[in-house]
Amino acid sequence: MTSVVDFDCAVISQEMVLPDVIKIVFHSPEIASSAKPGQFVQVEPSKGLFPVTRRPVTINRLTDDGFELLFDVVGRGTELMSQKQPGDKVRILGPLGNGWDLTKGKKWLLIGGGLGAAGFQFLKDSISDSVLLIGASSKDRVVSLENSIVVTEDGSVGSKGLVTALITEENLANADSIAVCGPVVMMEAVWNAVPEKHRHKLQISTESRMGCGWAVCDGCSIPMSDGGYKKCCKEGPVFPGIEIDWKRWKEAGL
Amino acid sequence: MSYPPSISRKFWGLDFDSPIMLASGTAGFGEELLTLDCLSGVGVVVSKAVSFKPRAGNPPPRLFETPLGLLNSIGLANPGVHHVLNHILPLTEKLPCPLLINVAGESIQEFSDVVEVLEQSKTHLGYEINVSCPNVADGGAAFGVDPDVVFQIAKGVSRVTDRPFSVKLTPNGGDMVMVAKAAVDGGASAITVCNTFLGMFVDWRTGKSVIKRKVAGYTSPALLPLVVARVWQVSNAVSVPVISSGGVSHGEDILQLLAAGASMVQVGTRLMRRPFAGAELMDEMQKLIGE
Repeated sequence: MTSVVDFDCAVISQEMVLPDVIKIVFHSPEIASSAKPGQFVQVEPSKGLFPVTRRPVTINRLTDDGFELLFDVVGRGTELMSQKQPGDKVRILGPLGNGWDLTKGKKWLLIGGGLGAAGFQFLKDSISDSVLLIGASSKDRVVSLENSIVVTEDGSVGSKGLVTALITEENLANADSIAVCGPVVMMEAVWNAVPEKHRHKLQISTESRMGCGWAVCDGCSIPMSDGGYKKCCKEGPVFPGIEIDWKRWKEAGL
Repeated sequence: MSYPPSISRKFWGLDFDSPIMLASGTAGFGEELLTLDCLSGVGVVVSKAVSFKPRAGNPPPRLFETPLGLLNSIGLANPGVHHVLNHILPLTEKLPCPLLINVAGESIQEFSDVVEVLEQSKTHLGYEINVSCPNVADGGAAFGVDPDVVFQIAKGVSRVTDRPFSVKLTPNGGDMVMVAKAAVDGGASAITVCNTFLGMFVDWRTGKSVIKRKVAGYTSPALLPLVVARVWQVSNAVSVPVISSGGVSHGEDILQLLAAGASMVQVGTRLMRRPFAGAELMDEMQKLIGE
């Protein structure tokens, strides 16, 4: 038995929320009723032969009868996705992967880098007590979320600096769980900024170049600290920070 | 043979409603397909490669999509033959279709060693002997270009099993017809044509390949004519059935490969994109020839 479906989902709305950042709301009662925060979907950019694989996108949040995706236009696949208009049907497989582990306590510290913070809306909707820290390069990369503390590298919004400067012993000690989502280098900087005694609380939302998204191709492997690999799509995308081999993961150059 | 070809097939003495095989490395051992309930239209599942000892696989990135295809460098990642025998094959008993186990080796001996262990299982129909993986340093495609080595590998496998097996050839160097004949002389009951094409993507800014092992295996819908040509050449040269692998996007592609001489047709990258490819491709074929 599975709740994963592969359906043509109608586009409800499409808008550019930041430069080259697109938000699309899809109709899918099936995904709306089964998705958990931190899960993702596989989006088929075109009905044609190319691109040959789909694009994995984290579910940004749920709507009454569907879900919202927010993504960067970075290549041909996401460019095709950005051109979808209301009424267009897009083949989407999901929900996929394991989301955030909500069983580790009620108080959350959420640390987002750039667009990585987008999916925290869905997580915030599912938890009651959270502190949200967002770091980004500039205001063009800051997703608007309620009750967030924002820093930017150029100071164009919030104070000037890196998100690691906002991490304090106090907010680490107050948290039962720490959720991190952003570029690999940012997440590694957070890992390094968190003292060892708090690291067991870290949950890391990983990403990888992905083939299938449903655990058959073994293409999206994340290096683990035991020397092996786990599949981003199946065992992840969220992993305990202590399971990740940060050095080898960074070497992947994603 | 009559044209258009029939969708239902007789292969290795068995009747199949579908000519579709799921290509090695794109279907796991079929267990995820059971979970998704997407095995409708699938004739045969070919497992991912199994080696004697566990293989962690290659460092990421293992995939890189080009504008017109996909490079992969998985590196035969698998938990080793004993784990497969004891923990994975029992899960495949529920498969509604036969399973072929893809076998890899770093030495001529390893292929028959792996098969000998797998003989303890009753769940699978036969084997696909992978003498052609482009993504490993030892063995792999280096074996597949040499008719003498392929003969010895096939002979060794024949000695330890009575089940049918196909030998999967490489398109990268060597004379495929000569190698196919050597495999048949060694006892192969089919020939799979063919493994991935050697490919590479270099970042011109740095001069570095995007894949850590530099070269990788390339798949693409655009490879269809290359596979059709090789299927035609090999099927005209050997007495055993030819299984095509590569280039399939739509039902019409499968019909073309069958018309060119393939007995069964593998689907790989398309399955990764479309988990329900079996049912979708069968539907497309049935609409085309009204069977």
